Amino acid sequence: MSGLTDILYPFFVEKLPYITIAVFLLGVALRAARWLSAPRDPGKRPVSVFAAVKYVVLDVVLFRKTFKSDKVTWLILFLFHVAAGGILFGHMRGFHLWSAEMFAPLGEWVAEFMVEVLPIYMGWLFIATQVLLLIRRGVLEGRQLLSLPNDYLALVLLLITTILGQGMRIFPPEAIPPETYSVVFIPGLIVLHLEKVPSFHWFFLHVLFTQLFVMYIPFSKLVHIFSGVITSALYGSRRAEYGI
Amino acid sequence: MASKLEAGKTREALGRFTRRQLLELDTCAHCALCTEKCPAYAESKVPNYAPGVRSSKTARLVNKQFGLWARLLGPRPVTAEEVSDLAESAFNCTLCGRCMETCPFGLQTHELWTRVRELVYALGGTLPNVRMLDEMLEENQNPYGLDADMRLDWADYTDLEEVPEKDRAEVAYFVGCTTAFKGANHEVAYSIASILNQLGEDWTLLGEDEWCCGSPLLLAGNEEGAREFAEHNVEALEARGVKTVITGCAGCFRVFKWEYPKLLGRSPRFRIIHAVEYLRDKLASGELKPEPFRGKVAYHDPCELSRLGGVIDAPREVLKYLVGDYIELPEHGMDVRCCGGGGLLQAANNDLRLAIVKRRLGQAAALGAEVLTSACPACKLAFVDGVRASESDIEVLDIMELAARQLGLL
Ligand code: SF4
Ligand code: SF4
Repeated sequence: MSGLTDILYPFFVEKLPYITIAVFLLGVALRAARWLSAPRDPGKRPVSVFAAVKYVVLDVVLFRKTFKSDKVTWLILFLFHVAAGGILFGHMRGFHLWSAEMFAPLGEWVAEFMVEVLPIYMGWLFIATQVLLLIRRGVLEGRQLLSLPNDYLALVLLLITTILGQGMRIFPPEAIPPETYSVVFIPGLIVLHLEKVPSFHWFFLHVLFTQLFVMYIPFSKLVHIFSGVITSALYGSRRAEYGI
Repeated sequence: MASKLEAGKTREALGRFTRRQLLELDTCAHCALCTEKCPAYAESKVPNYAPGVRSSKTARLVNKQFGLWARLLGPRPVTAEEVSDLAESAFNCTLCGRCMETCPFGLQTHELWTRVRELVYALGGTLPNVRMLDEMLEENQNPYGLDADMRLDWADYTDLEEVPEKDRAEVAYFVGCTTAFKGANHEVAYSIASILNQLGEDWTLLGEDEWCCGSPLLLAGNEEGAREFAEHNVEALEARGVKTVITGCAGCFRVFKWEYPKLLGRSPRFRIIHAVEYLRDKLASGELKPEPFRGKVAYHDPCELSRLGGVIDAPREVLKYLVGDYIELPEHGMDVRCCGGGGLLQAANNDLRLAIVKRRLGQAAALGAEVLTSACPACKLAFVDGVRASESDIEVLDIMELAARQLGLL
């Protein structure tokens, strides 16, 4: 490792996670404050739990409405979210929420597929669908949509992070100091354990960009990851109230 | 040079977006998944009319005052040019709510765009024709600038014999301005009144005491005006001890049912039903026995009755009794394609309204419909204008007119 990375690497892996968590929580608090400082909606709309869950599943998880109106975009969006979910799930293994052994009863090859093969395919799928969505946005820009700068920033940040993560998997590993095998976000609570030594430079940048991305979520359009569930649940309740 | 608007007024107007609406503005991914389904965009291809573009522009203005940078570095001014650009977008919209039905996040755009119009109204950016309409409403309590004593002219023109104006009654028929003042709709009022008479209902009209329901005021962005009208109408109806209000207008129905409780902060002491719901019940109970119409009939769901009002099945149930050969139009029910008659588009951009209605008429014609029905006077006017403009031979009838005809009342 060069001198600069000698200093930066431990910072990104050991110190930055605390900052990431703090900035993320601060962003969430600022967003919530922004929403809560606005006037309440007039009238009381009863919340229908059944309808709320139904429309979150149909519209947010399965993209029912997009399926009805544009099958190609639906396929890209759906695969994009499948890949995002898959990659998130894969990372959960690093946080010890699941392990390859859990799949062993289904056969050794299943366990190996889950930790060795599937993540690579998911990575390519994630990159491909992001590129397609970026192209779609570019083509429609100024004609059907008007992006704010942060719409692109969020997408570009995600794409860089994903490419770095994929690079980390496909390029040959290099030696890194053993103490950096764990990335501690909250000691004893949120700790990412690395089983294998990944390709160092890719890992180095992936860790950095992932954290930038996480920090950026509450300040960006990506807030729809959370707020979209709420708006969809409210839409479901509206339909229940209107009896439709 | 861009002219900056007064800071306090701007901040107050932008600060009126509610919690849910701010959440929705922040959630809109500017993904354009709703664009192709928007009738205003589909017929014009003007980017500024696309719902996602409107959302971006609104968010930009809100963020100038309440965004993170505004909090850190202070709010930035909004210019008159930005407001008039937003007004162009906001009023070139039929407020049909189809974008809500297409949006994967279920953003309640009908209410969001209405709030955008309020913003434009508060900042003096309302389009001239819409402003004129607002002024006529304030002056005459109807959007056509006509005297209140002309509200019952439809009864004279149609030779209706019993026109009750009682101090107390069980049922009130709220005619609505577009039915009362527009000749093309006079027979709709006549049909509803005749059916009520036929059934021997204890019913009344409000006569000159009926004010516009307030819907066009809301659509113009004048919420305060709409509140005043709501208070007047509810007071007039409650003073007569009315238990049920029947209206044949989808706009009046939606505003009475879904907006009045919000405007007044309480529910009125009567229930509101659309005439088609009343008719459905009377047909189902066997109190009315129509002769089925022989011919192909299609039904267009008024947006304000279906997607925005919650009444989708009742007209179809009615048509089972009224017609032998019913055709379901494509893009119906929750997904109905607007006829162009709503959202004050006629005042803002009548050419666009006609382009939208021609598309819808074309769908009915392609299926060989001989009669096109709906349940809203604004839809009927749009279709009548569309038929004239496209020299179509489809007959346009309100569902209540068709019912009265098949009952031998018209
Ligand atoms: S309400 Fe209707 S006309 Fe207006 S933006 Fe949405 S889809 Fe278009
Ligand atoms: S309103 Fe919904 S569908 Fe339309 S641009 Fe916004 S998020 Fe996309």
